[in-house]
Amino acid sequence: MEILVSVLADTVLITLVLAFAAFGLAIIYGLTGVINMGHGAMLTLGAYFTWWLLDQGVPFVPTVLLSALAVGLVGLAFEHLLIRHFYGRPFDTLLLTWAFFLVTTEVIKIVFGTDFRNVADPIGGDPVNLGIYQVPTYKTVVALLALAVVAGTALVFFKTTLGVRVRAMTQNREMAGLLGLNVAAMYKLVFGFGAAMAGLAGGVIAPMFAVQPYMGDMFLVRSFFVVTIGGIGQLLAGTLFGSFAIGGLETVLALFSDQVIAQIAVFFIAVIVLRFRPQGVFSGR
Amino acid sequence: MTAEIQPARRGVFRREDVAALAVFLLLAAIPLATSGYVVYILPQYMLLGVLAMSLALLWGHGGIVSFGQAAFFAIGAYAMGLVMKHLTGMAINSAYVGILVGTVGGGVTALLIGYFLFSAGVRAAYFVVATLALSIVVEQTVKSFSDITGGWNGLYVDRMTVTLGSWLELSLFDDAPIYYVVLAVVVPVYVIATALMRGRFGKIVVGIRENEDRMTALGFNVPMYKTLVFGLSGLLAGVAGSFYATHAQFAHPVNAGVLFSTQVVIWVAIGGRHSLLGSFVGAIVVASLSNYLSSIEEIQNYWPLVMGLIFIAVIVLFRGGLAGLVEKLAGKGAHGRAAGH
Repeated sequence: MEILVSVLADTVLITLVLAFAAFGLAIIYGLTGVINMGHGAMLTLGAYFTWWLLDQGVPFVPTVLLSALAVGLVGLAFEHLLIRHFYGRPFDTLLLTWAFFLVTTEVIKIVFGTDFRNVADPIGGDPVNLGIYQVPTYKTVVALLALAVVAGTALVFFKTTLGVRVRAMTQNREMAGLLGLNVAAMYKLVFGFGAAMAGLAGGVIAPMFAVQPYMGDMFLVRSFFVVTIGGIGQLLAGTLFGSFAIGGLETVLALFSDQVIAQIAVFFIAVIVLRFRPQGVFSGR
Repeated sequence: MTAEIQPARRGVFRREDVAALAVFLLLAAIPLATSGYVVYILPQYMLLGVLAMSLALLWGHGGIVSFGQAAFFAIGAYAMGLVMKHLTGMAINSAYVGILVGTVGGGVTALLIGYFLFSAGVRAAYFVVATLALSIVVEQTVKSFSDITGGWNGLYVDRMTVTLGSWLELSLFDDAPIYYVVLAVVVPVYVIATALMRGRFGKIVVGIRENEDRMTALGFNVPMYKTLVFGLSGLLAGVAGSFYATHAQFAHPVNAGVLFSTQVVIWVAIGGRHSLLGSFVGAIVVASLSNYLSSIEEIQNYWPLVMGLIFIAVIVLFRGGLAGLVEKLAGKGAHGRAAGH
């Protein structure tokens, strides 16, 4: 019983943390069609900004927000300089975002060094003991934050004029433009928001992992599987379901084997799922 | 760069053939003129050049980008190392078996993965992610099964000995003999790959790159051709890996990983994705430069950054890479058309 409860709770937490990490990718990929291979680097950048700002004595909450803002600005600059010229050419944007990853990683190494950095748990304290389950406090806060961010975005997406515009842009770029929508600005906005979300996620998960120049790599591939399994453009349900599939599977498999084998198995299963449902499990289309 | 697609005029060598001849003659002459580190290291770069060719025929001709070429390279390398280590006391030269297993292993793995993904019509973006995952899986596998593969320390591999029945036994322990053996492998690999890609097979693959629907409508089995070209690419990467292992005398997880895979993408982009020769030379030049510049303390930290910026410049400005640039300068640019991949 205790094992069941703890596996269930762990799965829920991992699902939400993974959904947080994948969310920026889901936004950029789902709404602009850019396969953002730089997503991992954006997470890493967010984590480093967070580490640096905390080191300067800035409190945790403004630190994380500033990190998100900074990564969002970096994303905007990247979009403005390069990406905007290549929408509609997915291969080129894929290579360019990969180059973004390479350049950003090298800049991180030069500026921050290659040592592992630790970000202290901002809440601290022991896990809350509920008798049958030890609740990891910070992880739970992050999971709730993930829910709030995904839900908030969905609210904007489905209930506001801005959301209608973004959806119009995604459905038919030319028609949206002809109807007077500033498509270029919308793409920029979406790309910048996606980058900021990646930065936010990087900052928020920094206390849970060692901060090092390649910390985003593992999240890049997992985020891709989350987004593709969930279904591209299925921001809310798709991201959550994809995260549940990847994170939950990893947790359950890790019970029976070691971490590495669990991860390999998850990748295999993800590829097999994509083979048979290339449009994503959650996508009706 | 449609020059490669056009049929060869009979009896007339193309410019690329002349360039290839010059490159290989130069490579053949180097050990005569010098010795030491250059002669030691160049065969490794030539094999990286073969790895680059394996991606170029996939990417430049087929329009399919793989971020997992290192996986096939590593399969070749570890197959070579494991066979040479465990297959002893046999009548047959274990190195030959190793090369065969490594090459076939790389090719068959790619065929299986290619068949699995292409037969379902998996789109380009998923294919990239799947090959990226493949690289991670192979890297993690060789890292974690350390009893067999040596884990993080890598696997020691012997230098092979060339034997021919009982009347030839040539140890490749010295630099010059293995240099020429590697060259004797690289040249036929280039010639065969070039011939294949200039022939009917290559034209069909280019046709698929240009317009997949039209090729389907014309009755070509598109998934089969994609699978075959991916298999061929895995085969070349496997050959390169197995010879690399015996030359470098190790097989290491680094050569299986994502970063190494993407190095290959950069070599090919810089060398020229549409040209097998360009990619081959691109790999040698970039790998030599990387090696040289990383040894200079003042710039070693900045070099990878510069590489990244050069990569961006190539994607944005010189889509044909070095080979495309040379071709343009040679006045053939008028034929060229950006391929859109």
